[in-house]
Amino acid sequence: MAIQYWRIRDRYYRLVGSKCAKCKAEFFPPVYRCRKCGSDDIKDAEMPKTGKILTYTVLHEPMPGFEAQAPFPLALVKLENGATVLTQIVDSPEESVVTGAKVRATLRRVRVDGDSGQIAYGYKFVVES
Amino acid sequence: MARRSAYVVSAGFTKVAEHWESSILDLSVEAARKALQGVPKLAPQQVFVGNMFSSAGASQEHMGALVASALGLEGVPAFKVESACSSGASAFNLAYSLVNSGAIDSALVVGVEKMRDLEPEAVSQALAMAESAEYTQFVGATFAALNGLLARHYMERMDVSRDELSALPVLDHANAVAAGHAQFRKAITPEIVARSGMVADPLRLFDCAPVGDGAAAVVVANDSGASSAKRAKMAKVLGGKVSTARFSVYERDDMLDFTATRTAFKEALKQSGLSPQKVDFVELHDAFSVVGALSLEAMGYSKKGMGSKDAKAGKYGLKSELPVNTFGGLKARGHPVGATGVYQIAEAYLQLTDQAGGNQVEGAEYGVTQNVGGVDTTSVVHVFGRAG
Repeated sequence: MAIQYWRIRDRYYRLVGSKCAKCKAEFFPPVYRCRKCGSDDIKDAEMPKTGKILTYTVLHEPMPGFEAQAPFPLALVKLENGATVLTQIVDSPEESVVTGAKVRATLRRVRVDGDSGQIAYGYKFVVES
Repeated sequence: MARRSAYVVSAGFTKVAEHWESSILDLSVEAARKALQGVPKLAPQQVFVGNMFSSAGASQEHMGALVASALGLEGVPAFKVESACSSGASAFNLAYSLVNSGAIDSALVVGVEKMRDLEPEAVSQALAMAESAEYTQFVGATFAALNGLLARHYMERMDVSRDELSALPVLDHANAVAAGHAQFRKAITPEIVARSGMVADPLRLFDCAPVGDGAAAVVVANDSGASSAKRAKMAKVLGGKVSTARFSVYERDDMLDFTATRTAFKEALKQSGLSPQKVDFVELHDAFSVVGALSLEAMGYSKKGMGSKDAKAGKYGLKSELPVNTFGGLKARGHPVGATGVYQIAEAYLQLTDQAGGNQVEGAEYGVTQNVGGVDTTSVVHVFGRAG
């Protein structure tokens, strides 16, 4: 895993985003400036782990490193606090991946950098049955 | 400050194609020479190269000096300008701004992209660099995937059908049949779009602009710089604006609201003094069918949810109320990403100097070009008119 991603492993492992110290608005991905009130006083905050699928796609033509998984579903998940996460959906029957479906965050292997490279883990979401 | 005038005084381009025999520099020089040959007495005072991924596509950076040097223009300032797929129009906007201000009298703008040397997966990777490395690329989302998410949201929320979404790709292909520089000059039907391979559900291959190589160039000059050019072969730049939006489409309050295009269009039109109804044609950034539809809505030519529906109803054909993509747009002329914005401007130039041949919009007085980087993250809009 490139240092670029290791650096922010907490964001990938525990879904750590941002919380505005002033107006308490929460964001994922993290922000440098509050999108609600404009404050620069931003703290890290763990996001809620459940939400609903806002929209989804099934990707058939992936990037290098994701070929073995394709085709795979990707979704925009609106978390309970209003933040929207772009994520893979895993371990869910194809027909369950629909707009409005309730989903829960889980930790999974995201990519492997070659045969001897590091393994990157991060959040993916599962449809709740 | 006294406002000067700026003109496109010449244009040149390569065919958009799989140019196996040509390098990124070969293509740049071919397009630039064609543009410069139109104004033999004019020596450009600056060179701007619009390009997105010369590093990934051709192991090459420092494109400004490379192109300037190859053309024998050593001595002039030369830069690469990058704003993802809107790099070409961004390069033009900088050149136009400097020429219009009088800081310089003329400039050469070259847009170029070499995509086909890469394997398809590597092209996806290079294009994805327009989006967040940490939160888009990391999870395996390509640029097409983001547009697939957007397309489903659009279709579900606005009740848009498969056939309606196919209308813009079908229109593009129809317009490209007579366009000599277009990558795909074959008419298609909605059935062909609906049966093409799945890329990022619901987007299929024919919803997506193709991968190709190409370069386009224009020379822009003010009254001092253009003194040797023929007025009938000049198009006046009436306005130009670059606008940016909240970076990723999923960070926005309403994904279907293309705020960058809305702002850039409004401001560019304001500079031109024209009402939207005066515009005779639009060169639209439809890298994906859904992006073309949402762009028409952001510019106000279609109401919310009506972009694809209006296209299906025939509102945007070459002989209709508002022709769009008069040479085939991104889907059929092709989309060598960093070059696309300059192709659009060259095409607007051809329309406004009656050099558009079988694609001529009869009596066209005013045209708009809209070039987008990311999912409407950067939008660049220019307005052109006749110089005569």
